Amino acid sequence: MVQVIFLTALLALFPAQIFSQERKAPPLTLKSIEGQTVRLSDYRGKVVLINFWATWCPPCRAEIPDLIKFQKEYGKDGLQIIGVTYPPEERASVRRFTRRLKVNYPIALGTREIKASFSRDETLPLTVIIDREGVIRGTIAGILLPEEFNEQIKPLLQQQKLEGEIKDAQKSN
Amino acid sequence: MLKRVTNFALTSVMVLALGVMTAFATTKTTTIRVTGMNCSHCSSSVAKALKATPGVQEAEVSSEKGEAVITFDDEKVTEAKLREVINGAGFKVAE
Repeated sequence: MVQVIFLTALLALFPAQIFSQERKAPPLTLKSIEGQTVRLSDYRGKVVLINFWATWCPPCRAEIPDLIKFQKEYGKDGLQIIGVTYPPEERASVRRFTRRLKVNYPIALGTREIKASFSRDETLPLTVIIDREGVIRGTIAGILLPEEFNEQIKPLLQQQKLEGEIKDAQKSN
Repeated sequence: MLKRVTNFALTSVMVLALGVMTAFATTKTTTIRVTGMNCSHCSSSVAKALKATPGVQEAEVSSEKGEAVITFDDEKVTEAKLREVINGAGFKVAE
């Protein structure tokens, strides 16, 4: 009986946290393949997509041109993509690959543990959506389709843009 | 009177034509051989891309068999388009 009351209270108090994937993103600090430190906390205030991928994964390779396009087009609206390889790969081969494709967002070498801290889903590619407050808003398993970008990521970018405009207006008043 | 008859005849022809078109809109199932699906964790992208294609009703992709079994409405999508979608997901259709 006590258990039922406890669970009911939990559901009433935290329905979103229980039924959705929403939770704070774990801290993440990685070295990029170019030798720079990539800290997730540095991107607070942006909509971050952590894209887990591998050079040997055909769909991962196929979606990279779209990710480059999204970064180019929506970077000014606060989009930041971070590519994390999974499982670990050789830095030199990843660097060769990303330079050839002219990838315009940071790429870091990841581990199984890092991927597991964001999602237990083994699908590749896998994209984790983090909002500007650092909350995981969902994951996209498989290629990120333009429809999914429009439905799940664009609203977060528009929300950010609107709030920025309101802040700017408040400052100028 | 003549106008009424003409209207009735026109409506009948239109209803008949619609019925014939519906009868000819077929659901097809095709099996497409796909190469390079060695990674079981990434082959789900093929099914996802296929299912997101208008006209595709069902898509089952097996990395073990190296094939995609697709049920689709051939009024809305062609087999050539399905092959294009598979190639676009990073894999290659075996000719």
